[in-house]
Amino acid sequence: MSVKYGILTLLYRQKNHGYELKLELESLLGIKGKINPGQIYTTLDRLIRDQFVLAAGTDDQDRKFYEITTEGKKELEIWLLEPVPYHSAKDDFHFKWSCSRTIGFEQEQKMLDQQKAMIMKDVMDLTKLKTEILLQGDESKYLLINGSLLRLEADLNWIHQVENRNRS
Amino acid sequence: MIKVRGLNKEFIQGQERTHVLKGVDLTVEEGEFVAVMGPSGSGKSTLLQLLGGLDIPTEGDIVINQNKLSIMSEKERTIFRRKYIGFIFQNYQLLPTLTVEENIAFPLHADGSLTKEKNQTILKLLDSVGLKDFGQKRVNLLSGGQQQRVAIARALVNSPSVLLADEPTGNLDRNRAEEILGLISRFNREKNQTIIMVTHDIFAAGFADRIILFKDGVIDQEASRKDEDYAKYLANFMA
Repeated sequence: MSVKYGILTLLYRQKNHGYELKLELESLLGIKGKINPGQIYTTLDRLIRDQFVLAAGTDDQDRKFYEITTEGKKELEIWLLEPVPYHSAKDDFHFKWSCSRTIGFEQEQKMLDQQKAMIMKDVMDLTKLKTEILLQGDESKYLLINGSLLRLEADLNWIHQVENRNRS
Repeated sequence: MIKVRGLNKEFIQGQERTHVLKGVDLTVEEGEFVAVMGPSGSGKSTLLQLLGGLDIPTEGDIVINQNKLSIMSEKERTIFRRKYIGFIFQNYQLLPTLTVEENIAFPLHADGSLTKEKNQTILKLLDSVGLKDFGQKRVNLLSGGQQQRVAIARALVNSPSVLLADEPTGNLDRNRAEEILGLISRFNREKNQTIIMVTHDIFAAGFADRIILFKDGVIDQEASRKDEDYAKYLANFMA
């Protein structure tokens, strides 16, 4: 899960202030009270420094508004279209897909296609690894890899379900 | 090498036309192991039938080891099949009342090439599929996994350069499936046999070097395993 891309997703829809961003991000992630407000403001500062976000005035309660820039939108779209490798600890495809749904991303099918290709490649790599480990007789590692393969299979089935429901 | 260009296949039943393959282009290198996946009716099994010369395309070309299938007569296709192609099916397609050895030797009887030397080949194959002591057993007394091993040995008895497998593990549980797939990939590596395997199961497809996804009669997606990526993957997984 990435606070950076969560914030960019929310600002893609509309400009907002920090506290509201924290609440909406928790709602996007399905967790409540888990994000430290400090994390939101540090990330916003970094996004301003990188010119992905602008400070855009204040509201009547003197709360600072933030707005996404064209560069910020581009940054989010590039991230959405990057397939997530199995071993990536920093990203989760379900979170990415939720972000794409939140902003009504037009290239959702491309995202799904690329993720499918990534899963297929991961499955081939893991199967090769599994075969080698089996020859070495390491039963525990073999079973762990099979567990990972089953998760990838579930991910692929889930993408097929999304595609089927998108079609119907 | 297998080259498929502009492959179309239509089935006509009464007034109804079903366009199963819609212009498929595909190149498979010698010794490559390719898995073909896709939902039912996406055209994957039809592709296998056409590659094996069991049926002819409505349009398009298939060239296998420089043999152009579309210009062959039915008799020529049969000879071509015996020489170059081995088949493995989901339901094994063995002759139940014959012994294991007789089933494996069956393709040799068909083209009259059963010699003493070939008998040795059969014994070697039996050993390599782990059925050394089962030669004289009737196949209907064997388990599903063992029957598929017999079918693999039969498919390999003519040393075909291309092995076509249609859901070879569809009737087996995961453990038996893994043994069969291990066997198929071993032959792929050791004998440099080109393998095209149709499967609905990503677990089985993982044994391949390349996975092709079919959708509505065309290739929708494909992914290849590259050794340099694999090394990175290995480092990440082991970290």
